[in-house]
Formats: sequence, structure tokens, C-alpha cells
Amino acid sequence: MYGWIWRHLPGNVYVRILISTVLVVGVVFLLFQYVFPWAEPMLPFNDVTVDGAAEPLGTPRAGGAA
Amino acid sequence: MALRALVRTLSETCITIGLVIVLFVVYLLYWTGLRAAHASDDEIARLHKQWAQGPTGSAPAHEGTAGGTRDSGHDGGTTGGADELAGDGGAGDADSTAPGHRAGESFAVMYIPRFGGDWSKPVLENTATATLRRGLGHYTGTADPGDKGNFAVAGHRRTYGDPFKDFPRLRPGDPVVVNDGDTWYTYTITARPYRTLPGDTGVLKAVPEPVDEAATPFRRSGRYLTLTTCDPEWGSSHRLIAWGRLDATRPTAEGKPDALTREGR
Repeated sequence: MYGWIWRHLPGNVYVRILISTVLVVGVVFLLFQYVFPWAEPMLPFNDVTVDGAAEPLGTPRAGGAA
Repeated sequence: MALRALVRTLSETCITIGLVIVLFVVYLLYWTGLRAAHASDDEIARLHKQWAQGPTGSAPAHEGTAGGTRDSGHDGGTTGGADELAGDGGAGDADSTAPGHRAGESFAVMYIPRFGGDWSKPVLENTATATLRRGLGHYTGTADPGDKGNFAVAGHRRTYGDPFKDFPRLRPGDPVVVNDGDTWYTYTITARPYRTLPGDTGVLKAVPEPVDEAATPFRRSGRYLTLTTCDPEWGSSHRLIAWGRLDATRPTAEGKPDALTREGR
């Protein structure tokens, strides 16, 4: 996979290193900005409330939190 | 040759998954903390700016009630004025559905010297996931700070700046100070944190009614504070609850209350 990407990058070694770095930074950014914030509420340490308290006024509850 | 490609792809996939997991841990332990610290500072700065510009926007809703009966009486007597209007309805949660705050917006700052002299967090309206990422969340429908009833606040134990990390260290007598721009409210913790199940919503009532009746902190209506967080630290099987009662009030203009000047710095 990584070999395949490397072979398909244009330019000489230095250009490829540069493009690879940009790709890695881009992937990390996407993970931190979108993927992790989406996945994080599914973990248990988000559930800090006792349920039902805010529901009479229709406050959204932490997604399916137990 | 095909086998070699298969093994290589499998290895690379495993390494990639491992790296993503490591990154996720970095995100949870450091990045959420950085983001939360930034967001909290922003909220507090915004509040101070808003308060400096004049009366708080939500004031009319609770100005009249906040003055009702001062539990302390020994300071804060100068606010006067509103006292006549308020009366003392006796109904514990008569004003507990204060409509004064917009969802997700901060309206007060909380100080808990037990958690550190410089520990201060904004209190935002509602307890949605996005709200709790920026600070503490005020259970919608519970009383406002200083009002009759129960001012209930939830906060993260871990991740997002670990605001309630030291929650189990709270002890009877610890001050919890809340400033809403007009007044410093000094609550005093009345018991060691109470451990309960996630569905124990009675702890939020105007006079808290925990499932475990032995833990009932108060018998009569009054001006109370409830803090909630998760337990164990990284889990969600239980909740920790701390209760306090309003001890003193002091107009913001008169400066920080004793509880902060004594233990802070």
C-alpha cells in the first residue's frame, strides 16, 4: 500500500518526501478534525450527567449515553 | 509473489491501525484538553467583557428572585431593592425553570479552590455533548445560581481538560464559588461525594432525593448546589454527586469572596 503510493508519486526523492509529508499531515488533520470528534462520544467517559434531567425542555442528550 | 503481497498489505494495515489508535489516545489525552482550555478561556473572557459592558443580559429573569431570602445575611445585604419583589414563595422550585440562558452559552464562572487556586471554569447552559466540551454544563430546568432550588452542574472527569478530575477529593466545608456577573455565590460542600447509578435523577431535584435515602443531604427546601461527574474515572458505570448549600453572597463590585482570597494564590 505505502509502496504503491510511493511509486505513484511524481518527481524525485525530495519531491516525493515533501508530498508524502503533506499527505500524512492531511490525514492527521482529517482524523483530528472529523473522525476523532465523531468517534469520541461513543466512549464511556463522556457520560457525566444523570439522565433525564434536562429532557423536559428538550435538551439533546449525549448520543445514546447510558 | 501473491502471498508476499498479501502479507505485506496485512502488515501495513495493522501498522496503520496501530498508528491511528496511538493518535486517538494523543487526541483524547492532550488535544481535547488543549481545545477545552482554549474554549474555556474564550468563554470566561467573553463573560468578563460582557459583564464589564453593563448589566448581564439574563439579569431580569432572576434579579427579583436572587434577592429573596439570603441564607447568610452577614454580607450581601447591600443589594436590597429586589427583596420586596421576590418574597419567599416557599415553593422550592418556583423559579427553577429560568428561561434566561441560551442553550450552549456561558452565563457564570465557577471556582473550586480544592481543585487548585487557579481552577476556574465557565458554566454553560445545558448538558449536551458539544456544551460539555467547552466547560461545565448547567442542567436545564434546574435553578440559577443563588436561587431557591438546586443549581445543578455537570462536568467531565476525564478528557476535555479534566475539569472534575479531583472530584473525589471534595470534602465537607469546601467552598464552591459561582460568579454570574452580579454576585459571588459561595456554596459550601456538605458531604463527601456520593456514588450512585446513572439513572439517579432525584439528585437534581430542588430538594435532592437520591435513590439511597441515607445519602439525602437536605430535608428542607433551600438554595443548593449539585455537581455531577462520572465514576470510575475513565468509565461510565456510576456517577459521583456532590452537594452544597449557599452560604454567602456578595456583590461582584465588592471583590472576591473570602473563600477565594484565603485559599487562592
